[in-house]
Amino acid sequence: MNKFLVFLEQREGVVKKASLSLWNRVQEIAALQNNAVVSGILIGPADIRQLDGAMAGDGVVYHAKDDRYRLYSQEYYTGVIEDTFKREACTALFFADTAMSRDLAPRLSVRLQASLLSGSAVSDADEGGVLRPVYSGSFLASFVPKRHQCIFLLSSNAPLPAYSAGGNIRLIDVEPQNVSMEDIFPVVRQIVMRVGMPDVAEARIIVAGGRGMGGAEGFALLEQLALLLGGAIGASRAAVDEGWRPHAEQIGQTGKTVAPALYFACGISGAVQHLAGMGSAGIVVAINRDRHAPIFDVADYGLAGDVHIVLPKLIDSLKEFLKKQ
Amino acid sequence: MNIAVCVCQVPDTASVIGYVDGAIDYSRVNRVLNPYDEYALEEAVRLKERFSESIITVFSVVSDSAADVLRKALAFGVDRAVRVTSSEEVSDPFQTAQVLCRAISNYYPDALPDLVFCGKQSTDFQSAQVPSMLAEMLGMASVSGITSLNPSLDSLRVEREIEGGIEYIDVACPAVLSTEKGLNEPRKTSIRAVMEARKKSIDTLQVNLHEAPYAVMTALQPLERKKRCSFLPDEHELIRLLSQEHNLF
Repeated sequence: MNKFLVFLEQREGVVKKASLSLWNRVQEIAALQNNAVVSGILIGPADIRQLDGAMAGDGVVYHAKDDRYRLYSQEYYTGVIEDTFKREACTALFFADTAMSRDLAPRLSVRLQASLLSGSAVSDADEGGVLRPVYSGSFLASFVPKRHQCIFLLSSNAPLPAYSAGGNIRLIDVEPQNVSMEDIFPVVRQIVMRVGMPDVAEARIIVAGGRGMGGAEGFALLEQLALLLGGAIGASRAAVDEGWRPHAEQIGQTGKTVAPALYFACGISGAVQHLAGMGSAGIVVAINRDRHAPIFDVADYGLAGDVHIVLPKLIDSLKEFLKKQ
Repeated sequence: MNIAVCVCQVPDTASVIGYVDGAIDYSRVNRVLNPYDEYALEEAVRLKERFSESIITVFSVVSDSAADVLRKALAFGVDRAVRVTSSEEVSDPFQTAQVLCRAISNYYPDALPDLVFCGKQSTDFQSAQVPSMLAEMLGMASVSGITSLNPSLDSLRVEREIEGGIEYIDVACPAVLSTEKGLNEPRKTSIRAVMEARKKSIDTLQVNLHEAPYAVMTALQPLERKKRCSFLPDEHELIRLLSQEHNLF
């Protein structure tokens, strides 16, 4: 029987939404595979009340809540996950695609001698592989594992199945014994979180701007729109290279890959490298002066016009609309 | 200080990758140094400018044609270039890391290099697995996707972007660091540097590969993402569609 282990990532004591969504997705995969067993591993102190009602299906969550590991420790986290995976004789390990997971998963692949498959979706092929866009999103590739055990690293914002949450989850505290700490590993001194807007990698709505915004001050309009909708700011490579926005907000080939439910592309022409980063977005709205800009080829709705004229009108009308709601 | 830099070659993102009769057509593809590796090379060269006794060696697991990326690395100012060939074909990140691990271990028989820089990921397959796998195989610490690096007395202070913030990390040598955009501004190599790089020799190191790949690519299809765009008369219609048809707000 298959046994799945899901890594539940906490930052500052809060379990990530991406991890909880992943848990629910893995429950659905398990249900299709003769009811494979699903367990979770949570490392560091965390507010466990938030798990109530957010996690579907049956399962055990192992919690190593040692206060010393509130911040990410590559050595400890790798050791605890390795220990749990082996102790519970798991067959597959699941990560939501985050900075922490990308740091952990390749090490665990070597340690557990398990295939590491990163992708945007689990393919329904018999071999149990994944699908992933490659070559700037020009192609969709299928990858299949060659080892018995597998590690899956799945895009956190890929479309999720609607799953009625509220399962039977049992929490078990664990104190891993087999984790050697050799002090050669990196130590996180602190993390500093930006406040205000949601992060572009996790936002449901993204308002992105490009060269057509004309300058850093042009993004003030986008910030107003993002604030109204509870969205995040994104930027094209052109806007980042001009120094108008930080690289953390860049979407595209050398930036982030995002898949929000709603994506506004403002003053973005739609170079193939940009499309690589937002090709999986749900509804795409493009606002551009040039009616023939390639961004309109991937948009659902278009407003042809100068962003400096269209956006203020959109913001005003949206304010009116939201007031009436 | 010994610094190793691992680089690879990728299709230029500006070139058109065709699809003919169910297979990729590379005929119009121009191959270049992986963009993320430029940050790795630049950071290594900056460290050498501060610590002049450093020796930078660049490694690449490549076919014959890819001597170009090693020449480019030499033009950046690295000291030595090693073309790594493998007894078996390398087809996945695990095998790539395995081959690099053997090459580095063979090249530095007495002590591992103090630092190994790699680009965060290649822009073609974007798996971002090789740097951390290599670190685990070499028994070294690693930090993936660094955006800042400051050497202090006994350790390196690095920064990494996480979702919604920044992580400040201390790491001791030896370590594998993978480089993210924003770390530095890679230099433009001068014509003189390029000419001099042509005169330098490139070493070849053959290593054995016994291990089978951990994962294989089985199919590749063009990804069609064209949509039919409806041009709207004004913003009122847009708001109505987004809120009522799509329930987005």
